[in-house]
Amino acid sequence: MAMATFLNACHKPLFISSHTNQFYTISNRYAADSSMVQMLRPYKIGVDTQMQVVIGYSDVPLTKAQPESTLGNFMADAQLKKAQSIDKKVVGSVVNYGGVRLPYVAPGALTRGKMYELMPFDNVLTIVEMPGSDLRQFCDFMAVRKGWPISGITYVIKDKTAANILVDGLPLNDNIVYKIAMGDYIANGGDNADFIRPLKRKNTGVFIRDAMIEYVEQLQAKNIHLHPNIEKRVKYAE
Amino acid sequence: MQSRRSFLKLGATGGALLLGGAFPFESLAGSAIHKLTILHTNDVHSRLEPFPLDGSKYQGEGGVAERTSLINSIRKETEHVLLLDAGDIFQGTPYFNLFKGEPEMKAMSLMGYDAATMGNHDFDAGVEGFAKQLVHANFPILTANYDFTATALEGKTQPYKTFKKGAIKVGVFGLGIELKGLVPDDAYGKTVYLEPIQMANRTAERLKKEEKCDFIICLSHLGYHSNGRKVNDLILAKESENIDLIIGGHTHTFLDEPTLLKNKKQKDVIVNQVGWAGIRLGRLDYEFDSKKSSKLTNAQSVIVRKQTRG
Repeated sequence: MAMATFLNACHKPLFISSHTNQFYTISNRYAADSSMVQMLRPYKIGVDTQMQVVIGYSDVPLTKAQPESTLGNFMADAQLKKAQSIDKKVVGSVVNYGGVRLPYVAPGALTRGKMYELMPFDNVLTIVEMPGSDLRQFCDFMAVRKGWPISGITYVIKDKTAANILVDGLPLNDNIVYKIAMGDYIANGGDNADFIRPLKRKNTGVFIRDAMIEYVEQLQAKNIHLHPNIEKRVKYAE
Repeated sequence: MQSRRSFLKLGATGGALLLGGAFPFESLAGSAIHKLTILHTNDVHSRLEPFPLDGSKYQGEGGVAERTSLINSIRKETEHVLLLDAGDIFQGTPYFNLFKGEPEMKAMSLMGYDAATMGNHDFDAGVEGFAKQLVHANFPILTANYDFTATALEGKTQPYKTFKKGAIKVGVFGLGIELKGLVPDDAYGKTVYLEPIQMANRTAERLKKEEKCDFIICLSHLGYHSNGRKVNDLILAKESENIDLIIGGHTHTFLDEPTLLKNKKQKDVIVNQVGWAGIRLGRLDYEFDSKKSSKLTNAQSVIVRKQTRG
């Protein structure tokens, strides 16, 4: 009892009488604090320097275009390769066209920083279990949008729909469930791909950008340059 | 007409002056107002520099050097500040890939963070990776529901910390998200996840009754809304007993206004979260007094003034 009194005497309880809230959006409206800038400097130099590291080479210009492009094929192939190393049942890969953030990469040296520019978002490689009927819908969806980068899948755009869809070289079967690699952005219904949202998926935890870097580095380790071609993965009906 | 308007204007000003003048008398009567400012971030994800000016959504926003200036200016205006972070300090820019969290910890130390909790991405370099960076942190890592026994973090975190801010005693504790299925098994290793609501109520009760805290803050990385999980900040708030404020993270939720809920005892709990990447700094200003009746005010009608965009 005496103890309790002592404690209470020590700290007189206080009660909330009111509160207010607000938030600040951080930007250059606040001057950069010089001691923080100084602390960060060596790390920033490190990051900037690392981003200039050459991770490989491309023999050809990497160009973003529709319905198919060298830049798109590189990204879709890199995504497929990484997904297949995680789950060998993955048969196809799709890149949302809007997620390709550079229109053109010159032939020659490829830096790590260029991969960050190409894919600045931390989109995560996701393997979606897609019934054939949904994959058909996905191909139609891409056909309406004039063709997105793909790998492992081919089709022909005919009257704004996808015809002659082949998966791993075989005609699409509506009753088979295909494992398709894509970014979590699109898997979660981004770009109005709402029909993908309810499908079963595995989040690999791998950034798509890291899959691209790894793809270029693995080629370089074998002294191979990037050389994506236009292979008529997607074409317009004649 | 003209003169009447002037009179009304004058009257309003006079009223404000009278109200302002009332405070010193209250002080003399022993019911002084005590102020506490809470500043908070969550899910900064290694975003040390502002987003690049590349036409993307948040271009030019964020940046620790800019945040430092803001925090310093707030500290100049107000005496009692607590600066807190709700986890996912790591992962998201090349800084983390290259330096494994060292500049993030140094930046938070330089800004004077008082405490932080761990998010799932803080396990991305493994328990060992996070433990290794703690030498660069001059603030405690609070987590009441991860048991790190027999891991590299054993003895390096604490469930809670109390702070004396003037006459106000504040208790802060941390809660982490279930790691299984979210973080690779070998990254969290032998870390044991404990049921968060039970641990929260147990910790908050201790802060209230044994530590005699006036104000109890939970730093939570459970996520604001369901996100397909059993527990989240909204559920925690309703199931809690002694928590006054939940500073959340994980779901990258930009709340323009905090969410006001009733706890198990029908007392107010506030949940707040400020998105991610250090784009925003959240601020809550509390006033305390020793009037018993104010406890009722708190339970019935907390005044939440409209926030101002800063």
